[in-house]
Amino acid sequence: MSKINPLVFALGIPFVVIAVLLVVVVGRTGGKFTNLSPFSLKSYRQDWTALQGNSYRLDCKVEQQLAFLEGKGRLLVVSPIVDRDKEMDKANLGRLPVFVPADSTQSFEVGQRFKFKVRLNRDLLLVEDLERF
Amino acid sequence: MRTSLLVCLGWCALVAQGFAQAPPPGAAVSGGGGGDYRSSTAEGGADRLFDVNSDSVDMENGSMQWKGKTFNLGNSRAMRMRFERYLSAPAAGGDMLKYQQLLQRIERLLSPGTINNSNYIANQQEAFNLLFQAAEFEVDGNNSLTIATQVQKIWNMRAEFRSLEVSKNQLEVIRKNQETVIVNRAEKIESANDERSSQPGKAGQPTLAKSSSGTTELGFRVKDEQRTQAEILARNAEMTALGLKAQVEFQSQMVGFLLARRYRHCIISSAFYRVLFKSGNQNIRVGAKEVKEFFPVSDFVPTLESIDTLAREAMTDVTLGMKTVDDLVKQGELYGAFERLQETYFLGEFEPSVMMYDQTKKRDMLELWRDLRELQRLGDEHDLANVEGYVNKVRGRARDFPGAAILSKVNNAINASNMAVLSAKQAALAGDTAKAEAALERATKIWPQNPAVKDFANQVVSRQDTLAQKIPEFDRMVSEAKWRDIFNKKLEFALALAQDKVRSDKLRQVVNRIGELDANIQKAQVLASQNNPYLAWDVIVETSRAEPDDLVLAKTRSDIAPLVADYARVIGVAEKLEKDGGEAAALTAWLQAQDLNPASPACGAAIKRLAGSLAQGAPAKATAAAPTPPAAGASGDEVAVPPRR
Repeated sequence: MSKINPLVFALGIPFVVIAVLLVVVVGRTGGKFTNLSPFSLKSYRQDWTALQGNSYRLDCKVEQQLAFLEGKGRLLVVSPIVDRDKEMDKANLGRLPVFVPADSTQSFEVGQRFKFKVRLNRDLLLVEDLERF
Repeated sequence: MRTSLLVCLGWCALVAQGFAQAPPPGAAVSGGGGGDYRSSTAEGGADRLFDVNSDSVDMENGSMQWKGKTFNLGNSRAMRMRFERYLSAPAAGGDMLKYQQLLQRIERLLSPGTINNSNYIANQQEAFNLLFQAAEFEVDGNNSLTIATQVQKIWNMRAEFRSLEVSKNQLEVIRKNQETVIVNRAEKIESANDERSSQPGKAGQPTLAKSSSGTTELGFRVKDEQRTQAEILARNAEMTALGLKAQVEFQSQMVGFLLARRYRHCIISSAFYRVLFKSGNQNIRVGAKEVKEFFPVSDFVPTLESIDTLAREAMTDVTLGMKTVDDLVKQGELYGAFERLQETYFLGEFEPSVMMYDQTKKRDMLELWRDLRELQRLGDEHDLANVEGYVNKVRGRARDFPGAAILSKVNNAINASNMAVLSAKQAALAGDTAKAEAALERATKIWPQNPAVKDFANQVVSRQDTLAQKIPEFDRMVSEAKWRDIFNKKLEFALALAQDKVRSDKLRQVVNRIGELDANIQKAQVLASQNNPYLAWDVIVETSRAEPDDLVLAKTRSDIAPLVADYARVIGVAEKLEKDGGEAAALTAWLQAQDLNPASPACGAAIKRLAGSLAQGAPAKATAAAPTPPAAGASGDEVAVPPRR
């Protein structure tokens, strides 16, 4: 009867655990649009003109659908997901409108979380791409 | 009128009852003063016949009702003065008891039970002498002397009567003698003639004619006898006239005493009359009509006893009245006492009990009398404002004074006058001058001194001046948009512009506008006080859009602003962004404001409005253009705003 070397267990189990944790952490913090800067609600409120034309990543939760026009799209109110423990992120608390054009087939429910790739079309945040998480 | 009818009906019933219970004619009726009188009338039911409740004093006509008979007491002014003089005068002096005993003694001396043939002269003389003693008393007023004079006159008349009787008897004797002589003379002439005619004449000669000697003398004798006869007849007539005159004079004096309410003197006169005149002269010749009025019985024959009864009844009433007055005064019911004293005074002002009434009590009633007269004067002049004060003053003196009814009537009159003034005001505002004048006249008639009438008159007088001033002032304020100032003077303008329809409509609009504004301000203040400043701010902001220049609103806004600084700032940003065309940024700001004030209708409306606008203007497809990071230098404050979509 062959015996597995106990050293394999001693090194293998921590490795597997670490690997799983890495997958989970990378999966949550990383994903799509990682190359984009996170959207700053504070900056937008202070001076949206400085941000117009830029694309940002917006992690948010759907709060309300304000308007829906068939063939045109929908206007959603979302709240950015921020770390409430961080003093800096508290300034980004609040709600803001985003427009999801009609070419998106995604359904939206209140409370769902999304990663948006948004672009500031003048002062309106236009959703160009999205990922639910 | 109805009361009179009831009284008449009552009298009819009482008359019937009186007859039913009256004693048979000729029955003895006991009178006061020891007299014993017989009556052929129904006086046994007299008390039931008299309507005592009708006793009253009528100051207006200067008369007094007593037992259905009206005593004329002179004109009302003199009557008032007499009563006032009585109240203010001291009580009559003298020994009242002695005076009354004196009068009673006179009555007794002359009463049918006392006087007879043996003392007929002596009693008369003694009673006559006592009259002079009675006249010495102050309360007598020398009326006993009048009776004494009257009695003396009768005595003188009797002496004269006796003289005439003697003279008449002598004439009768003379006449008898004359008659005898005439008969004698006539018989002689007749026998002489008979003798001559019986002698035969000579042949161829006629018989002797009748002799006429003695006829002349006979003629003269007859003439003398006729003269004597005429003188006798003249004496008879003179005696009859003398008796009648004395009778009439005495009765006149007696009835005069009764109507003058000198009852005791009336009774004494009656007693003297009864003694001095024969039973055949006991009927009333003078004042029968007046006496009959006291006895409303058909076929009533007034007699001395009728007058006696009336006088004694009156004296009893006076005595009872004064007892009642005294009792009411003791119980503190001064008003009732005053009324009873007034009646009793006019019924028997010369009665000793009235004349000797205590002066202190009379002074109290004099004060009450003056207050009552003043109250009456106020009532006559419709001075309603002062009536209440005097009613309370009189109530203070006399707790039984019925002031509640007076005050009730006064209050009704005041209300009616005020209502008429109000009606006049309404009519004046409506431009109906005739109706206003009529209402004002009505108000003045009810209460001439109504202060509301004076105020209204002043308003009417100054109205033209006010019009001249108010119209330009109103126009100036309108041109300067001083709505609040116009609102503050709305009543003055309403009166002044009542006839100007255009300006009145304008005033109404201003009043409604500021009224609504004030309602919103009050609403905001209430919300702020209920710890809901954000909603209050919404109301203020909304109202400010319509009335940006109102000072009261501005003050309220400045009061609430510190409580909602963050909210106000966010809304300000939102409004500015929206105004500048940044609808999405404005929507973000409105959402931020809504987070502060979730119930805000303003925020909800703005969000809804902007959402629709944004959805309409948004591109249908997201462009896939590569994102362009913002230039470092473009993040300054002065960023050019792109043109509106």
